[in-house]
Amino acid sequence: MFEFLIHVSIMACLYGLLSLSLNLQVGFAGLVNFGQVILFGCGTYGAAIAFSHQLGPVAGIALGIVFAVVVAAAFARLGRNLGADYWGIATLAVAEVLRILANNEAWLTGGAQGVSGIPLLFGDKPRPMGPLMTLGLCVALLIAAWWLCQRLTTSRYGLALKLMREEPQLAASLGYDLAVLKTQTLMVAAVLAAASGFVFAHYITFVGPDQLVSSETFLIWAMVIIGGSGNHLGAIVGAILMQFLFAFVPFVKDALGLPSEYVAAMRLTLVGGGLLVFLMWRTQGLIPERIGGKQNG
Amino acid sequence: MAEAVLTAEHIAKAFGAHKVLSDVRFCIGADEIVGLLGPNGSGKSTLLNIVSGFSRPDAGEILFLGKSLAGMPSHKIARHGLVRTFQLPSMPHRMTVREVLRAGSRDGAGLLNSFTGKGSEDANADELIEQFALAPVAHLPASSLSGGQKKLLSIAVALRTRPKLLCLDEPTAGVHPQLRGRMVELLKAFNKRGVAMLVVEHDMHFIRELCGRCIVLDRGEIIADCAPRELTENERVVEAYLGKSVARQKVSA
Repeated sequence: MFEFLIHVSIMACLYGLLSLSLNLQVGFAGLVNFGQVILFGCGTYGAAIAFSHQLGPVAGIALGIVFAVVVAAAFARLGRNLGADYWGIATLAVAEVLRILANNEAWLTGGAQGVSGIPLLFGDKPRPMGPLMTLGLCVALLIAAWWLCQRLTTSRYGLALKLMREEPQLAASLGYDLAVLKTQTLMVAAVLAAASGFVFAHYITFVGPDQLVSSETFLIWAMVIIGGSGNHLGAIVGAILMQFLFAFVPFVKDALGLPSEYVAAMRLTLVGGGLLVFLMWRTQGLIPERIGGKQNG
Repeated sequence: MAEAVLTAEHIAKAFGAHKVLSDVRFCIGADEIVGLLGPNGSGKSTLLNIVSGFSRPDAGEILFLGKSLAGMPSHKIARHGLVRTFQLPSMPHRMTVREVLRAGSRDGAGLLNSFTGKGSEDANADELIEQFALAPVAHLPASSLSGGQKKLLSIAVALRTRPKLLCLDEPTAGVHPQLRGRMVELLKAFNKRGVAMLVVEHDMHFIRELCGRCIVLDRGEIIADCAPRELTENERVVEAYLGKSVARQKVSA
């Protein structure tokens, strides 16, 4: 049970990073990104490709970040010619195209079989020390990401993002270059998502295209909406809550004497139902955005 | 008139077959407050959109401080010092009045400034809050303000950018009469500090108090460019607002 809790905690931290990344985009800059999972995929495939070519983990994280920044730049470029809603659909389409590419370009990505045998980050440590150290790394990454996001959004830069989110015409009339603001936000968010993907790849030791299905994006959306869009702590709480709820679904299934196929259905119900409930009755989420909160500069 | 801050040369604009502006030419001096008048549909807002880069002219050119604004996006025009307000100012739901004013200045609003702490000085924002009587509502969401207060906030936030030319689109609409007088004083004070203004407005009393010169548009053409007191004597202006018969009666009287 102890190792199971460590595993769930690691996954909660990694989803927390993804949730923070999406929250920065949608909660602060108003960027409705439905292709979030592909930014995570950049990190996983960075680690996988570096491993396949015996380049080591440093090259893996560097590759992951480069991939993610390139995809973020492509997303931002698309946004120059599209309205917010159409842009959201375009990001979903781009993410699907890249997933299909990963599924078919076996020479680079391992194709549908993926890449297995990626080494653990602390594989030389005995259990449970290795997983504990991975958890420590994930917690440290989550805290660093939270600090970065907090710093960005409580500064004058954050005010510019919020103004763009709510009144883009006013922001442009005051001299803000919305294309630059969107590109910067996407790139910062992409780096956070890629970091999550890189650690995930070295923790699960396998990378495949099935990890990049669009339902993962909507799971991250559910975490942000349930936790509280526009609040970093809310995004983290949403990720932890959803991850632990998911982890305990099999126990509920056993207690109720339900067949195993109900597990996936119950998880989907949690995501869809949670989204609906919060969108209808508590749009601000569990921890709402602080209006007029503390500013650091 | 001091050196021209803005020159409009032969501006034309049409929406399909409907001509909105035809050969519009005028200039604004660096020390001027110019009123832009005309009946509804005369092309005032279209002209303001073209001047501020929110719309492109079909023909003609806008020069700001001697530099052509052709093809320049609105945010770059604002960075050059030509800033505008909107007829129906929409304000954020999840930002306070103080936050909106703080966001008005781009100084220290860069990504890297988030980590250096640059841009924390905000005496100017507080000063504007006091000057525009927004102190009692500074902590409230900007969208919760009344229509008049939103107008005041939109002017204050535009002034926060330290513009060289401020274009105001119906600044008094929805503003309490007592505040209009205060607005005239404030705008004149900022004009003395070097902010030229182009004011689209229907309130003639406000125009007479604020502007030294008026440009009147009718059906996309300039029909008068004179001092506000001369407007009532101008037959074409009276005709545009009240019709031909009234204009003839007024002239014959």
